[in-house]
Amino acid sequence: MAYKYCTAENWGKGFIEHSESSKFQISSFPGNVWQIPANNKDANLWVNKVAGVFKTKEEAQAIVDAEVAITQAAWDALPDEQKTETGTGLNRLRPNAIVLG
Amino acid sequence: MTTYYETYGQKVQYLASDPTDVQIGQVWYNSTSDTLKVRTVSTVGSWASGGTMNTARISLGGNGIKTAALAFGGGGAGTTELYNGTSWTSNPTGLNTARNNMGSAGTQTSGLAFGGTVGSPNTYQSASESFNGSSWTATPSINTARYNVGNGTGIQTAAIYSGGYNNSNLTNVENWNGSTWTSGTSYPTALRDYMLVGTQTAALGAGGYPTFTTGASFNGTSWTATPSLATPTAALGGFGTQTAAIGAGGYSPAGPSYTTTATQIWNGTTWSSNPTGLAAAKTAMGSSKTSPSSSGVIFGGRTNPASPSSSTEEWTGAGVGQTNTVTVT
Repeated sequence: MAYKYCTAENWGKGFIEHSESSKFQISSFPGNVWQIPANNKDANLWVNKVAGVFKTKEEAQAIVDAEVAITQAAWDALPDEQKTETGTGLNRLRPNAIVLG
Repeated sequence: MTTYYETYGQKVQYLASDPTDVQIGQVWYNSTSDTLKVRTVSTVGSWASGGTMNTARISLGGNGIKTAALAFGGGGAGTTELYNGTSWTSNPTGLNTARNNMGSAGTQTSGLAFGGTVGSPNTYQSASESFNGSSWTATPSINTARYNVGNGTGIQTAAIYSGGYNNSNLTNVENWNGSTWTSGTSYPTALRDYMLVGTQTAALGAGGYPTFTTGASFNGTSWTATPSLATPTAALGGFGTQTAAIGAGGYSPAGPSYTTTATQIWNGTTWSSNPTGLAAAKTAMGSSKTSPSSSGVIFGGRTNPASPSSSTEEWTGAGVGQTNTVTVT
């Protein structure tokens, strides 16, 4: 499937309605990047509703990469005992790269 | 051209704002937003944005229903918030024992929190507390200190805590009768972070680390294996009953940054995937555990890649009324 990307800030209630998400998948990524299906009228209407700013895939990827780099740096700075996979380790794995589809 | 009036014998209502108590099939024109609206029945389940939490956090507890949910703990604190279906309100006081990854049961005004972890490295907790809608009170502790994401369910006077982790994955089950915790029938597999929904005598477990696919149902006496999740997951958000449940998101070994948006539906026999998933891939979130499978909410958690989330997503199952909007040009 082909996708389009935009940036928009999630204001909470009403940002995504059931009548929208039941028609197409809206996916969020770091940096307030949102992925929607390309060539989809309903998706375009949603972007308009949330005052989204369209980004090319390359621009969106750059935003995501920058956010991931921040979280990776934060993880790298953790003490070693917090990086193990025991205990609450499922939440302590090093963030990996995110490649937009 | 045939008009609406000619077909249905009445005109489309011209209103400045959406009406309340809308009926299935009702059509109206919203003059403020210049949109034609119609109330239909959804054919698939879907997620919508809910109110934003005041405190973003990972590994929190949750209970209640979509319009009256409770969030507590997580992020190393005891912070407690109440959701009314629209917005979150911070409770003046939090858990007496601030913690992460605890079990949870009950409702917004009659809740229970038990077990969990404190600090780093982890100190496994046995503390149990009850919530009356405004404050937490210490109750007798569980017998085996441990942490878990999601493995508790039931009500404030009849809860069950299954499996977990205390230097190794556990099969231990404990039952709460409102006064004491006693050992129950062990879960079939030593796991942590599976979803557990239902009641003390009719519970359903699914997923969990490290198998990701194990499922089991409990009848108050014994556990019976159930079919695997459609998407192997741990630490997923869950709500519903033993015969009709929703599992959403979670830790996925195959997902980006180990998280998934997958929404899985249990019909009492099999798990299937909903066509659309959560907007945000997340794990270790809170959920309205006592919600029916047709209507629930998940909140907080760890998003992709590794940030605490304050977002809320509200689930509406198939067959429920929804308002569709048509832009008029």
